[in-house]
Amino acid sequence: MTDYGHDLLFGTFVTPTAKNAEHVLDMAVATDRAGLDLVTFQDHPYQPAFLDTSTLLAFAAARTENVHLSANVANLPLRPPAVLARAAASLDILSGGRFELGIGAGGFWDAIAAMGGRKLTPGQGVTALKEAIQIIRELWDVDNPEIVRVDGEYYTARGAKRGPRPAHDIAIWVGAYKPRMLELTGAMGDGWLPTLEYIEGGLARVPDANARIDAAAAEAGRDPADVRRVFNFMRVGFAPSERGLLNGPPEAWVDHIADMALNYGVSAFIIGGDDIAMTERFGAEVAPAARELVARERGR
Amino acid sequence: MDIDLGIVVRATDEQRAGVATGLARLAEERGLDLVVVDAASTQGTLDPWTLAAWLAGATKRIGIGIDRPLPPAPDPTDSTAPYPSVIERARESLERIARGRVMTDASAWVVASADADAATLADLAARDGLPVVVPVSSREELERVASFVPDRSGAKGRRRSAAARARRVAGIDYDGVPESLAETAVEPGDAEYASVASTYLRGGQPGLVLRPRTPEEVADALAFASRHPDLPLGIRSAGHGISGRSTNKGGIVIDVGAMDSIEVLDVERRLVRIGPGATWKRVAAALAPYGWALGSGDYGGVGVGGLATAGGIGFLSRKHGLTIDHLRAVELVVPDGRLVRATATENADLFWAVRGAGANFGIVTAFEFEVSEVGAVGWAQLMFVTDDLERSLRRYGELASTAPRDTTVFLVTGQPRQGMAQLQLYGMVDNPDADTVVARLTPFLELGMLAEQQVVMTSYESVMAMAADVGPEGQHGYGEPHSRSAFLDELTPEFARDAAEMLSTGAVHFFQLRAMGGAIADVEPDATAFAFRTPAFHVTAMGARDDRLNRAWAPLRRHTEGLYLSFETERTPQTLRDAFPPRALDRLRELKRRYDPHNLLRDNFNIDPADAPSLASDQTPTEAIA
Repeated sequence: MTDYGHDLLFGTFVTPTAKNAEHVLDMAVATDRAGLDLVTFQDHPYQPAFLDTSTLLAFAAARTENVHLSANVANLPLRPPAVLARAAASLDILSGGRFELGIGAGGFWDAIAAMGGRKLTPGQGVTALKEAIQIIRELWDVDNPEIVRVDGEYYTARGAKRGPRPAHDIAIWVGAYKPRMLELTGAMGDGWLPTLEYIEGGLARVPDANARIDAAAAEAGRDPADVRRVFNFMRVGFAPSERGLLNGPPEAWVDHIADMALNYGVSAFIIGGDDIAMTERFGAEVAPAARELVARERGR
Repeated sequence: MDIDLGIVVRATDEQRAGVATGLARLAEERGLDLVVVDAASTQGTLDPWTLAAWLAGATKRIGIGIDRPLPPAPDPTDSTAPYPSVIERARESLERIARGRVMTDASAWVVASADADAATLADLAARDGLPVVVPVSSREELERVASFVPDRSGAKGRRRSAAARARRVAGIDYDGVPESLAETAVEPGDAEYASVASTYLRGGQPGLVLRPRTPEEVADALAFASRHPDLPLGIRSAGHGISGRSTNKGGIVIDVGAMDSIEVLDVERRLVRIGPGATWKRVAAALAPYGWALGSGDYGGVGVGGLATAGGIGFLSRKHGLTIDHLRAVELVVPDGRLVRATATENADLFWAVRGAGANFGIVTAFEFEVSEVGAVGWAQLMFVTDDLERSLRRYGELASTAPRDTTVFLVTGQPRQGMAQLQLYGMVDNPDADTVVARLTPFLELGMLAEQQVVMTSYESVMAMAADVGPEGQHGYGEPHSRSAFLDELTPEFARDAAEMLSTGAVHFFQLRAMGGAIADVEPDATAFAFRTPAFHVTAMGARDDRLNRAWAPLRRHTEGLYLSFETERTPQTLRDAFPPRALDRLRELKRRYDPHNLLRDNFNIDPADAPSLASDQTPTEAIA
């Protein structure tokens, strides 16, 4: 049974549908007002029906006050690392330290190629992501007097100017499912950000993935607790009777969350659904009670 | 003179980020028009695009400018170079979420020096007609610029920022919009533009939407439109139209949605006066308390104006006739600006034309209908699965056309999957007796395997109320619908066979049969411009692509005649001849010459006044066989 001891975070996963732009922004504001911790947006730059997530993040950050924001997850192949690093740090500064960087290696390679990106194999994508995270961390490391020099196979950065300096330690959360990606997450990430429904075998397989991340972290000389487990849940809903994980009455949600926090190491719970009423209930009826229950159980 | 003034902000280090936000907000408060983000920053400093998007979010009204040229080509190996394709998406996105307040091209403003005085700024503004922006780095410097903002307390109409004006369409005389309409007109740069640009099934980008509230304002709008004879002109009541292109690209739209009053004139005679902008849902709700209803189509979100000038084949037509058959008078503004009343005795020829070809003759500002007494009705929604679509269609044809007049059942289907077709039947029995309703509907249960059913005793009002309300966000159709329409005298076995064959191609995703007959046929074909009184069914086929749709649809033509203009998107000369029989078309053309000689109203099944009579042999051989 695993618990890395992080404070719990709660958030929403928002579909940035362009024709419902108002609703997308309302979701961000509702998440903020509900007292939740995170509002996150899918990032599929090749999807014409969606808003550009980087632009949306900056706009939504200005319309919210306390909530942290992140892509879920940023599409590296169409967002070069130095561009991502600078945009992330800029928004972190503008928002007073409310930006986190969810990032993924990308998929849908044909669509990426159609936008002018390069087609990589999944294996190449992992290496590219590793190089990208190095570059991003270098550019944020403003106090380092050395010249930036990353000579990767897919990305290079030589002599790039560091900065701007983020307002807080921006967490890099990696969208990962396959072994090499999990190892990268353990070695370099501040968080693991999968969608539960996409994990083959579901929650039952999470301990295996955790173990892989933990081993990679240890090998890199890090503490497994350096890697927060941040999960998306898509098939969620409030219902009078229990239908499934995070699908039922609020009390059942609270129990599920406590179970996942105390036994599976999950400490951030991000729900899909694009539903304002559900977001409000999540903030009012689930998050405080789950925090309380987990604190009580941890204190035993 | 009035000038647009703005500021330039720089964000070269972390401290200044907060300053830029404060300056942008203060600029908005002080009535300035534009905040330009100086994009000439370098690596290591704040990302200008992120700052621009943030400032757009941090403000509500003021324009945001950022010069963001597209890089020449993507270079995946350069970790500092954004993709041009992504930059383009980012621009579109910011324009959308910031509702047209964003300008991304430096040629849209002029930068003055930081110490420019009022006279210099006025000169710069006069020289290029562009907004003038002044670099500032403190509140004091901003206040100095703000002190040059002209006093606008006496100005009329709404003032549009440079960003809003930059989105105007060439060829429209925006400054010449009549004063009566200026306040409610919507331009591409206005915040509410997205809510009026598109319609139910069609994406649009009109250059100007005029929203008259009175017949006088309708006349003003038509006069304005007549000064733009080369631009598309759409007339919109509720924006549900398929043939009525109530939106367009770069043209003018006259939206009469605000003229939506519903008033009972005479309880004894059940006479009701209705504005063109009302929806049938609202009409049904207003009539229900009297125990009345006025048949419309099959969807409550449709507007009165478009439907009541075309026909109106709906759930009550078999018993009570078409919507136009209830019309007793119309008032319309004709293209020369006169408000004309037309009834069976007054301007009778116009009254004839309006009932079926109204869109060619004027903008109706009020309809007077004699409505029907309609009490409780049976309402059925049945879903069937069938592996023999041809047989099911044939049987539906027999049942729906021989049912008593109180029973109107429509059918919708699409492409069969794995040999199984889904049939949706929905219909009304205008009879308050539940047993009768059940008896009327029971024969239909043999059409296939019943998968879902709902049969309730309800009201016409409740059925119309199922249509979703269009909120302040408006409608967001996109692309162009492709729809074919025709009438069917009888649903023959051959038609059922060819229709099943057509559906198997997949070129038609929506196929509808509307039962007609009954009271529709009680009216003589030449009594109204709508001439198809005898068919048993109306057929609609919609597809994603016009060419595929035409190929699939062609074999059905040998079984059909004519078309109902509301469901036809084709605009060939032959389509017009299909919509109106020769005699009707000749009469319409003659009236068109009288009422609209310059062909101002040409959006919806245009009858060109210049065309020769259709009874003459003006068809080319190709058209004749098309």
